Amino acid sequence: MHGVKRVQYSQAALEAKKQRDHDKLKAYLALSDDVIARKKSHDMSNEAFELTTRLLRMNPEFYTVWNYRRDMFIESLFPQRSPSEVNELLSDDLSLTFELLKQHPKVYGIWNHRRWCLEHIPDGPSPDDVNGYRNSTWNKELFVVEKMLDADARNFHAWNYRRYILATMPFPPPPKSELAYTTRKIEANFSNFSAWHQRSKVLTTLWETGELDRVKSIEEEFELVRNAMYTDPDDQSVWIYHAWLIGNGNYAARLQFEITSIQELLDEQPDSKWCMESLVRYKRLLIEKHAENLGDKKALVDSCLELLAKLRDIDPPRRRRYDEIAEGIRSGNEMQ
Amino acid sequence: MSGSELPKLARVAHAGHCNRCLSALPSSHIQIDASRLAIGFYCFGTLDLLGSIYEKTKEIEREGWREWLWHQQTSGIHGTGFKPSSYMTQDRPYGTDPEEYSEYDTPHLIMTYTAILSLAILRDDFEQLDRNGIVRFLQACQREDGSFTSFPNGGESDLRQVYCAFAISSMLDDWSGVDVDRAVSFIQQCSSHEGGYGQQPTGEALGGTTYCALASLYLAPSVSDLHAPNPHVTTDERRRTIRWLLQNQASSGGFSGRTNKDADACYCFWCGASLHILGVGDLVDRTAFLSYLASCQFKFGGIGKAPEDRPDPYHTYLSLAALALFPLEDADPSWKLPRLNALWNTTEDTADWIRQHVPLYTVKAQSPVRK
Repeated sequence: MHGVKRVQYSQAALEAKKQRDHDKLKAYLALSDDVIARKKSHDMSNEAFELTTRLLRMNPEFYTVWNYRRDMFIESLFPQRSPSEVNELLSDDLSLTFELLKQHPKVYGIWNHRRWCLEHIPDGPSPDDVNGYRNSTWNKELFVVEKMLDADARNFHAWNYRRYILATMPFPPPPKSELAYTTRKIEANFSNFSAWHQRSKVLTTLWETGELDRVKSIEEEFELVRNAMYTDPDDQSVWIYHAWLIGNGNYAARLQFEITSIQELLDEQPDSKWCMESLVRYKRLLIEKHAENLGDKKALVDSCLELLAKLRDIDPPRRRRYDEIAEGIRSGNEMQ
Repeated sequence: MSGSELPKLARVAHAGHCNRCLSALPSSHIQIDASRLAIGFYCFGTLDLLGSIYEKTKEIEREGWREWLWHQQTSGIHGTGFKPSSYMTQDRPYGTDPEEYSEYDTPHLIMTYTAILSLAILRDDFEQLDRNGIVRFLQACQREDGSFTSFPNGGESDLRQVYCAFAISSMLDDWSGVDVDRAVSFIQQCSSHEGGYGQQPTGEALGGTTYCALASLYLAPSVSDLHAPNPHVTTDERRRTIRWLLQNQASSGGFSGRTNKDADACYCFWCGASLHILGVGDLVDRTAFLSYLASCQFKFGGIGKAPEDRPDPYHTYLSLAALALFPLEDADPSWKLPRLNALWNTTEDTADWIRQHVPLYTVKAQSPVRK
């Protein structure tokens, strides 16, 4: 449904398309009926297995057929087979799902089946190397998910899957390497909010474990974000990440510093909505959280009101929001 | 542009589109076979909003649909619910006794929600509803972390399923199938630093899941006064979420579902309804909103995700639902739509029907309404 574009057809082409449609539907329904009947009669044969492959290629959303396929693995295909054969069967399914994902990158059933395959890799190849199969397959997964993200850097299924791989694989790369991955993705495209988002998650982990010094790291992040801001002040991702870095605004000196920096950018780009919006946001934080230390509170308030008036003009869709904020500032009330 | 300069809402054409989809869908839609009940809901919902259920459909058709819907209600060891369609099993003849489902054919949580709404739109009396069975089914679907899976034996779990569990419990006026505290705790963990809520605790905020989170939190039984601050949403979360939602309205008037993505008609509902639930619907630029959705109308009927895109029942229904929440004073009368219950996502008339027929004891049924 999402992403299906309209195409114009001539009369003859329309007729031909109608016929093709009809034939396709007939074939699909026949195959579907056959597989369901076999499932009901608990058919665990190789033939049934092949039919599920065919059906899933036509309709990978058919989650009950994925279930049936997995049951066939467990009940009839895996028993009596050596670990290397089982591993090969699973590798084949990993290839199948990869192929299907390229055409259907957002189908839950396919991602699910992939996880199941990974979780069922047998011990092997030898008693001294019981994790060999697992390690090599799981290590490949990061490449697989990277291919998916190359095709669509915002595919949240792929990002969620990436986080699952990192959390579950036997020998994950260190978090710092994931940080480097997000750096690459961000530098390739500042608009890739998913990469900024991932970065925020990885940094949080690194700060918690103490692997990275939080204070120094945040300084570096502000540098990074400032570069991005100056390169493309219209990019929403950058400003959201900046707001995350500011956090609850308890650190007054940082707030002041950033306000000054953003003001400089605004001086160069007088119509930058994000600069103005962020300045209002951070100045409000100053007013709310650091009132006792403020020299000239009135100047801050006036400055906010002036910015909000400009925002009304350059960002009409959110006019009412800006009016409401201005009202709140004037009356000295906490906003919403 | 003022409301009076907008094109008309092509009501007849949109009703036609959904009516056609109720009969059949082309082969390009084979993948939707797995969610036939959902498609049915979008079509019925559209006809309900356009007031055309009784004009455009015959009683014999409605009887057929009700019968088909009840045919999907299935019981077994994990309780009772509705399957997405009959495709997963060999069709048993109508009128025969249903067998218990196997592990393959379990009911589906989201489809159970859409089935109940569909039956209400079709004004069924719900005599056949296995209420206790459904409550047991909800219990079977809830996980340790408070989230719900689509099936009792697995499947994906995210805020969509939580919302359906909450909506169903609210419609039944029976919360014994849900551990509310654990579910609320899961929802809160999905809150994103951007504002809004992601699918899972580490995910980016998405329009759809934000709606599911907020609707759930406002449906929760502990929330009795909808005009007071919600105990499950901190002031900071609320502020961040309002800001994030509003920033997702593009200059075209349409909403996008995530930071830095394009506008899409369905997010006009997911994000618009979220703002409505938070009580700040007035902050949406309505003229631009309506103008965007007007431009998504397909000339042969139906509404697509963006101008020039192919229409489908999902976008058609959600666009109309969004328009019902944000009426524009000076717009052409063709745009006048009935009031929508934003928490259940159905018209207020259908919501009334639900209150009168779905709970076991209808005397005490007082479902919350976000005006």
